[in-house]
Amino acid sequence: MPSFVRHLLLIVAPLIAAFAILPGVYDNHLLLFNFVIFLILAQGVNIIYGFTGYLPFGYVGFFGAGAYGFAIMVMHFQTPAPLAVLVAGVVGVLLGLLLTPLLRLSGAYFAIANLAAALAVLHFVANPALESITKGPYGVALNGTFNPTLAYVGAVIILALTLGIVVFLRNSSFGMALQAVREDAVSAAMAGVNVVKMRVIAWLASALVAGLAGGVFAWYVSVFYPDNVFSNDFSIFAIVFALFGGVATIMGPIVGVLILYGVYNLIGFTTPQYFQLIYGVLIMALVLFLPAGLVSLATRRGWNVP
Amino acid sequence: MLKTAIAALGLGMAMGMSLASPVLAADAPSEIKLGTLYASSGRYASISMPVHAGLKLWVEQKNAEGGVYVKAFDKKIPIKLIAYDDQSNTATASTLYNQLITQDKVDLFVADSGSVLTAPAVTIARDHKMFLFDQTGTGGSFFSKDNPYIALMSDPVSTIWPKPIADFLTKDGPALGIKRVAILYSTNEFTGTQANSLRKFIKDANAPIEIVYDQGVPTETTNYTVILNNIRAAKPDAVIHLGYAPNDIAFLRNVQDVGIKFNMLFCIYPGLETELLEKNVGAKGLQHVFTYVPPSEMAYPVNFGMNIADYRKAWDKKYSDGKIEFGFNAVAGYTTALVIEKTLSVATSLDQMELRKAVFSLSGKLKTLDGTFALDETGGQIGELTPLGQLELNDHGHIKFVAVYPHEVATGKPVYPRP
Repeated sequence: MPSFVRHLLLIVAPLIAAFAILPGVYDNHLLLFNFVIFLILAQGVNIIYGFTGYLPFGYVGFFGAGAYGFAIMVMHFQTPAPLAVLVAGVVGVLLGLLLTPLLRLSGAYFAIANLAAALAVLHFVANPALESITKGPYGVALNGTFNPTLAYVGAVIILALTLGIVVFLRNSSFGMALQAVREDAVSAAMAGVNVVKMRVIAWLASALVAGLAGGVFAWYVSVFYPDNVFSNDFSIFAIVFALFGGVATIMGPIVGVLILYGVYNLIGFTTPQYFQLIYGVLIMALVLFLPAGLVSLATRRGWNVP
Repeated sequence: MLKTAIAALGLGMAMGMSLASPVLAADAPSEIKLGTLYASSGRYASISMPVHAGLKLWVEQKNAEGGVYVKAFDKKIPIKLIAYDDQSNTATASTLYNQLITQDKVDLFVADSGSVLTAPAVTIARDHKMFLFDQTGTGGSFFSKDNPYIALMSDPVSTIWPKPIADFLTKDGPALGIKRVAILYSTNEFTGTQANSLRKFIKDANAPIEIVYDQGVPTETTNYTVILNNIRAAKPDAVIHLGYAPNDIAFLRNVQDVGIKFNMLFCIYPGLETELLEKNVGAKGLQHVFTYVPPSEMAYPVNFGMNIADYRKAWDKKYSDGKIEFGFNAVAGYTTALVIEKTLSVATSLDQMELRKAVFSLSGKLKTLDGTFALDETGGQIGELTPLGQLELNDHGHIKFVAVYPHEVATGKPVYPRP
């Protein structure tokens, strides 16, 4: 069986099926929804960081832009929510295109510039002068489209799409070429890889999934402020979850989200007073002992982790 | 067939009897579950912790007395406080709010402080048909006629906060020589909405007041020196700065650093979190600053709960380490608790719509240390208004409040222009 199909059947299908069934057996649907959102965002970070080496500290910019793209379509054009989610994805891609010049930077310079870009988008959206379009800092209330059940279904579909992209990158010559660019762009270019084109496509794919996630998030929560959807916690969590599991794999970010976000909520529900202590120790241990993520436990032994 | 009919008849009679019979104290739950969130860290910790501490103080006090009186069961029942730490993170807050409803099955659903952390609760409450006791989330977008599952407990909605400032400027201002006003605000819901309302109130008043400077700046702004020079260049008679506590601290420090003396300077938080501002700006830096007068300085007559003096004593006893500042937010948490207590004493069941009905029945009648509790039809708080005051130094060099507007609550005359 080709590895592409095997990964779809053994990883993507069970995960999607699990998240489709779980709302029937567990009542805290918002917790499940947040798991799905962080799975999407962690895989989005995986696409751009794992396969190209660009660490997007301002990844939330696409997410927030998507959320506001959704809100504007619903508020001003009375667009049906599923269509508005698609527009949210387009908004993410357009913002990605606008920020393409950032790809000229690398390492910490890119990370900082990306963070600054996300803040710029936040302040643009939250500008009181744009109140008639974005509601500025005063927040949006999208009561007309409020439908948590459908929004959850939408999120699971976007997760499937995102995982499909990652499976493709993991199993295609395109993904291999991206990793070659990540390791040594000059060598890859000499081998005939169109470096700029490759990076831009990965960047836009990453922006697309974050924009879609932002759109479906706006659909689910329906009442939010710029601070809610541009909170840098989204970027930090997505990056930490992806790194915890291990990037440039399909399984790494999934394992990272399920374990780390699971622990995060478990501590939050049981011993909130020790929250920062336990979580901080966990992340420090990861950085010190498993800098390549949990999957490195397997790869060190020569096991192939999809 | 006959058996089925008899069974149905029996079931119907049983149901009828259960509906007709009064609720017995024996049916009462062993505890009333009150679920809420707080932020022990992050951006909203400074407003969230005093509110939560006020609520917690009430729970402990009531439980020491055997619980709160619950009319639905005609007996006192202890309160079980279920509180999670959202760390100022809205995604975490969403999950925890849902946890309170779906897993902990709380009877009373209380939001965290401030609009940003309240926003996720508004949707969740509506989705689960739970009535939300909104403590200090003043966002106008929360309140609409088609959402019956919310009411604001302890703060007026953002849109009416600046009414006393606008009235003072437009009614008393011209006689004092105030003709040119500068408005500087942080671009967030709480202060941005107040700026909008202030602008509208001034324009609607048709008074000879001109807004000569009107600028929004990001909430993260910490250096106002260039902005201050721009404001000075506009030659305003009154400067209204609407920002959060960190903004006020930075702004007032910069005013001292630059050495500008505006004839009238208004800031929000010297009144709301006086101890915090005094620590960071110093008493001298707050002298002559106009601000909102908090309930802790007004000594409103109460018809329910502790008055401000007794509450302060109880607060100092419980939080004697001084780690949580006593101020506007400390009063807000206790006010929420009092509304809950009174609601339980009049609601005939713990059904969420019955709780709403009970809360609305208190409107205009309940007088707490925070003033008169009054709701509009959407659940927005329109009572508990904060008068305009001015900070002065007493003989010992300590800060004291002088209420200057409205006249009926004034305790002194405004010092204008600032010496």
